[in-house]
Amino acid sequence: MPSNPLWRHVFYRLRESVRSGRKEEESSTCRLLKKVPIFQDLSGRELHKIEEMLYGPRNWRAGETIINQGDPGMGMYIVASGQVRIAQIGDDGFEKQLATLTRGDFFGAQALVDELPRSASAYALQPCRLLVFCRPDLLELLENNTSLALKMVEGLAQMISTDVPELIKKFSAQLRTPERLLKGARRSGSVQ
Amino acid sequence: MNWQVKVAIGLVAIAVLGWFLYEIRGILTPFVFAFVLAYILYPIVDWMERRGLGRVWSTLLVFSIVFAGLGIGAFKVGDKLTGETVDRVFTIANTGDKLLIIQGMAWEDDSREQPFVLREEHRWPLGIAPKEELAIHLRFVPKDHAPAANALLIAYSQGKDEYSQRISVHGNSSAVAGSQAAGKSGSVVFSRAHIGFGKADPNVLVEIGDRILTETSARASSIEPMLQPYLGSDFRLAELIREHGERLMKTMLGGTTVFIEGVISGLTFAVIVPFVAFFFLKEGRRLTRGLIALVPNAYFELCLNLIYQANKQIGNYIRGQLLAVLVVSVLSISGLSIIGVYYALPLGLLAGLANVIPYLGPLIGIVCSSIVALATGGGLAMVAKVIVMFLIVQLIDNVLIQPTMVAKSVELHPLVVLFVVMVGSQLMGIVGMLIAVPLTGIAKVSGQTIYKGIRQYQFRVG
Repeated sequence: MPSNPLWRHVFYRLRESVRSGRKEEESSTCRLLKKVPIFQDLSGRELHKIEEMLYGPRNWRAGETIINQGDPGMGMYIVASGQVRIAQIGDDGFEKQLATLTRGDFFGAQALVDELPRSASAYALQPCRLLVFCRPDLLELLENNTSLALKMVEGLAQMISTDVPELIKKFSAQLRTPERLLKGARRSGSVQ
Repeated sequence: MNWQVKVAIGLVAIAVLGWFLYEIRGILTPFVFAFVLAYILYPIVDWMERRGLGRVWSTLLVFSIVFAGLGIGAFKVGDKLTGETVDRVFTIANTGDKLLIIQGMAWEDDSREQPFVLREEHRWPLGIAPKEELAIHLRFVPKDHAPAANALLIAYSQGKDEYSQRISVHGNSSAVAGSQAAGKSGSVVFSRAHIGFGKADPNVLVEIGDRILTETSARASSIEPMLQPYLGSDFRLAELIREHGERLMKTMLGGTTVFIEGVISGLTFAVIVPFVAFFFLKEGRRLTRGLIALVPNAYFELCLNLIYQANKQIGNYIRGQLLAVLVVSVLSISGLSIIGVYYALPLGLLAGLANVIPYLGPLIGIVCSSIVALATGGGLAMVAKVIVMFLIVQLIDNVLIQPTMVAKSVELHPLVVLFVVMVGSQLMGIVGMLIAVPLTGIAKVSGQTIYKGIRQYQFRVG
């Protein structure tokens, strides 16, 4: 600590501003992450590591598509602000709304475990800010930081085991998305 | 905008970018080297980070170790290389000259006593009394190096040309001057050529090439009369070799030396490469994230996927190639040393590096080593040994190394290899030939990944 009072003051203010800034920033993202079941068992330090691995927050305009049903999935999305609509094209070819998500909700976690195409689409209802956590980063964690990764995988397993029947349904119907669309279009009369 | 216009704009943009990159290739080279270096070191830094060391510390530690090793290696190998080269230029130049023939000269250790025979009388400032042996230390000085105070100039002629070699005498220079008779034997202690790494003139390559050429064409002229009855008196092998050899040398070595001179100007290369590589290693992840942040939302996942895939493939490719180069170099150097070819070190390194060029690479190693074996008086038996040795190395390479270390996905068609190697030699000489295939390999891997990725996402892009 400098002995000159003026510099000490400057130094003190600087340090405080850095500390408080970091703390605030950390707490907002970390608080958000704490709400996601996969991350809820992690310590503050581990959450900070995850925070460094996240992409974003990225901004989506209202009405923009976030993920498309049928595309290969790369990771899970966490809503930091705004509203997201999750919709699925059903067997009948018509789109069915599944959920509306707000801050702290997440979607696409399935992509963390497998490389299957997305089972539903996500659209921004309002301007959105989303954080993205990717499968390659989870794989890297599994290799480099096993204890952290295990906590996450445990969370993932719990989450998935709760909706296995849903998963089986998705799995069996996923690859037929284009046919479903065509079917819907035929039914509505836009395609012969 | 319809798709044709989009494609046209895209192609124009790629062409402009390619032209721009070509124009700034001199500046780009250290970045490419740094990028490759970072790729090679990435797994090591990752491994250290996994062991609990911070990213910065891991990077610093790996850097210190690698650069200390590289530095020492460069000095040792560089010293040996320049020493050997200058020495060899001198001995080759002296074969058959009228002044001084030093037999059995080799450059193995720091200093070594070798018996020498003076064949003819000459003006030699140091006197050797009859029946007396005298150890003198010779230190070779490159042409443009400031001559030492006690340097002596040996002049000799070869045909019409006059050459001179400046040798600085180190040590016992106050010996009594006098004449000595031919046929006296004495001993000469050759001290290691005292040339710091990097001080040697890059033209030394051209010079040694020139000497080898002269030697080969001189040998060819001796067998010319035997061939002329069959091929007609117009057939002049020596002239042909001289003419084509010179042209080849000019395109290959000329381009390379200009390229090296351009790149290694000052400390640019030595400073920029580690600096950039350090940041690639330390900030690599942040750099990728920064780039991805610029990508529009619609292509976000696509780009993410492509970057991860390409990253993995390119990393494997570069590391595989590096390991293959290392193994083939070590095998070739050992092999050449065992059969006793001069220049085992540079030739082995060249063979290892050339090995990244499929089909042509092994041939380059064989041809260069055979020429050197012939030019240094090895004879056909030595050439046969060289060929057998390289065949064994190739066998090991193709059976053990290539299948395990180098990815199958980057196999290139022989025609493609030939084409890119020619383009590389046109643009950057030997260096261009060496980097052409790995660069094409990287481009192919990236292209494949992007193509596959885009097909998966055809729902949106198509």
